[in-house]
Amino acid sequence: MLSPYGLEIIESCLTCKLREDRLFCNLSPGAVKDLEAIKYSTAYPKGAVLFVEGQAPRGVFILCKGRTKLSICSSDGKTLILKIAEPGEVLGLSATVSGKPYELTAETLDPCQVNFVKREDFLRYLRDHNEVTLRVAEQLSDKYNTACHEIRSLGLSHSAAEKLAKLLLEWSDKNGGSKTPGRMKLALTHEEIAQMIGTSRETVTRLFADFKKRQIIQLKGSTLTIRNKQALETLVSP
Amino acid sequence: MINGSDIPVNFFTCDVAPPRLFTHLSLEASRDFAAIQTVQEVPRGTVLFSEGQAPTAIVMLQSGSARLSVCSSRGERLILRIAKPGELLGLSANVSGKAHEVTAETTIPSQIVFIKRKDFLRFLKEHSDACMQVVQMLSNDVHAAYDRVRAIGMARARHVRN
Repeated sequence: MLSPYGLEIIESCLTCKLREDRLFCNLSPGAVKDLEAIKYSTAYPKGAVLFVEGQAPRGVFILCKGRTKLSICSSDGKTLILKIAEPGEVLGLSATVSGKPYELTAETLDPCQVNFVKREDFLRYLRDHNEVTLRVAEQLSDKYNTACHEIRSLGLSHSAAEKLAKLLLEWSDKNGGSKTPGRMKLALTHEEIAQMIGTSRETVTRLFADFKKRQIIQLKGSTLTIRNKQALETLVSP
Repeated sequence: MINGSDIPVNFFTCDVAPPRLFTHLSLEASRDFAAIQTVQEVPRGTVLFSEGQAPTAIVMLQSGSARLSVCSSRGERLILRIAKPGELLGLSANVSGKAHEVTAETTIPSQIVFIKRKDFLRFLKEHSDACMQVVQMLSNDVHAAYDRVRAIGMARARHVRN
């Protein structure tokens, strides 16, 4: 089945071929069947807002396809991107479990398929399936890990150059399994990269120009190649 | 790592985490939980676990307090918050099996309960009511951590040095 956004929709969790590769979805047949009964599958275009920081929790959003940007905002409108969520992640989890407002805003970066589960259905589902509760605990642990990492990066990095170097090294590490680990597609704009490291768009543009001049990186269109990884590592741990 | 220079505490300390001993457990779960605990008195300055260390046990703070912090590669320390009696520490690392993301150090003489990781995970598998409470505790931890990200990230964004 094709959706309007060119997504090949996964119609049923029971027949999903990607299930086994995903931490949350790889459940027993009984648990998958019950999940199938309470989820609403939706396709979103790029730029759709799934939930907003401060909003009362309606439920969880299981990201089946596409990527989603998770960000927080200050009262004066500054945005900090905390993470780019990948398929298989459950969004809005801690708010749905605790009943507190969503602590982040989730906005799709690509056309996405999302399975939504209403809060009351999800909490009942957890009570009925201890294996799912354990998976949820693992996902929450990962989210806590991410938040601590972000605190360390934001609170203990001394300069924007250090933070940008750290981010590029992280992306390079994630890309480690590919044939060209030092080469990656920049999926984010300079503005969004600035929002990931808590600085301004102008600073990011200036730093990229500086890194290029010092032959630390090469930029061709949206393809970034790390030419001198050691120089980036020195910026992170001088 | 522990002896690095401290960043001023007043900005980063936080008391948002609620009291969190397991409550309303079934009789059987309470009995099983008691059976896997080891109680110990520890002096001030005891490092209960360190950032980067593999998780081997959950630590429950019975009395006293513990400072939770993260370190930079230069040895600078950022205090996330002060844990209070009743809190389970090292929860996310023990559940995920990944290295501890924070360091926990007692700030006064404290009484703590150690629960071996494998015993704790078995306990969670066997008692869904306890597992549900752990999920709620983790949700609170995530909320508190995001609050800290907001406070630090937004403050730093205004004073970024290039």
